[in-house]
Amino acid sequence: MNLLIIHSIRFFAILIIQALILNQIEIGSGIQLMVYPLFIFLLPVELNIIYLLSISFILGMSIDSICNTYGIHTSALLSFAYLRPIIFKLFIPRDGYDPIVETNIFTLGFRWFIKCFGTLLFIHHLWFFLVEIFKINELFFVLQKVFLSTPISFLICILLQFLFIKKSNEI
Amino acid sequence: MRNFIAFIKRFRVFLFFALLQGITFSIYFSYLQFPKYQYLTSASLFSGNILKLRNNLTKHFYLNYNNSILQKENIALMDSIPSSFIKLDNGLVKINDTIFNYQYEYTPAIVINSTHDKRNNYFTLNVGSKQNIEPGMGVFSSNGVVGMIHNCSEHFSVVKSCLTKDINIDVMVEETGDFGLLKWDGRNSKYGTLWGISNDSKIKKGSKIITRGGGKIFPRGIIVGRVFKKQVVEGKPLWDISVKFSENYNSLQRVYIIKNLLKKEQEKLESDTPINKAK
Repeated sequence: MNLLIIHSIRFFAILIIQALILNQIEIGSGIQLMVYPLFIFLLPVELNIIYLLSISFILGMSIDSICNTYGIHTSALLSFAYLRPIIFKLFIPRDGYDPIVETNIFTLGFRWFIKCFGTLLFIHHLWFFLVEIFKINELFFVLQKVFLSTPISFLICILLQFLFIKKSNEI
Repeated sequence: MRNFIAFIKRFRVFLFFALLQGITFSIYFSYLQFPKYQYLTSASLFSGNILKLRNNLTKHFYLNYNNSILQKENIALMDSIPSSFIKLDNGLVKINDTIFNYQYEYTPAIVINSTHDKRNNYFTLNVGSKQNIEPGMGVFSSNGVVGMIHNCSEHFSVVKSCLTKDINIDVMVEETGDFGLLKWDGRNSKYGTLWGISNDSKIKKGSKIITRGGGKIFPRGIIVGRVFKKQVVEGKPLWDISVKFSENYNSLQRVYIIKNLLKKEQEKLESDTPINKAK
């Protein structure tokens, strides 16, 4: 019950941060900041993937409806949620995942977070810009956008965790 | 049958994923062409109200700039009203003029949400169908063309701006009269492309580009921008002209919506011509 409230507060907080603040920051040269995958990433490890996909569909659609992107965010987020269990299995820690502990940067370490979240965020950004531009002859522009946006989004995700998540295990 | 159920059980996660992706892509491609409902755009009441709230907080940031623009516009209007002219001939009497008829109606609006860095940029306005706004109307500001209304609800509307892939506004070069289509390549919000002018016409750098008035949306003569540079398109007898927009879309606040009162008449006349009937 406690977990449910925390995650629903996070849902609205990340929706507001993404739609009203980060979408208005336009640095130029194709940089676009997207931090909402962090919400899907921080959901419990044991959660059924069907629920994971449904939640990401709802979150993506609400971001799309505010940003007028008509479903690109949803599509990228769905691929993020679908690949999450696979990547988690790939980078499993030595003693496995503790179902009670949240998978954030403090509990599982900085190196694990970079490997796991970095891979997923890169796939998310690549998917997003590929669908958005949808042209083979502008592949270099897509790659420019991906390689410029991913590190900045990643840094903001780390910053958000340092700001809003307590270091102790009780969340 | 048992095999089929086993198959679904085995791949149920992937099937669910594919189903959701399919729904998303069908929404994406249908909305990109023509939005059917308002629910999933910022014209919906929920998203619209959130954006209105945000605009109420941030609109004062550009107050000085906007005031100076409004002042300039006021001066231009003051110059044109009858009381600022001296009557030279007292013998003239004003009668009900039948030579001029209203063709365009203007509605003022405020941009409550805008982007300029995405692939397709849509602006949200604070007026909707209650103010007689319909999809397909033109939008411009005192500095130049902004776009067309893409979708509208009761209180909000979404503008497909000049910073969209297939905006295709009918424009022409003022000096020579050559006309083409305005496009955007998706990179820089300051420059657009003018497509379709044949390369035997002489286009000077810096010449003014205005709307042509052929598309039944904008009247002739609204400024779009100036010619920035021209290049030869390989394999085609066309110029690739890059246009510097006169409007700064990054800080756009006040716009006007044009309603063409004679649009239906023109459409009916054009659809009655034999060429269009044959289609």
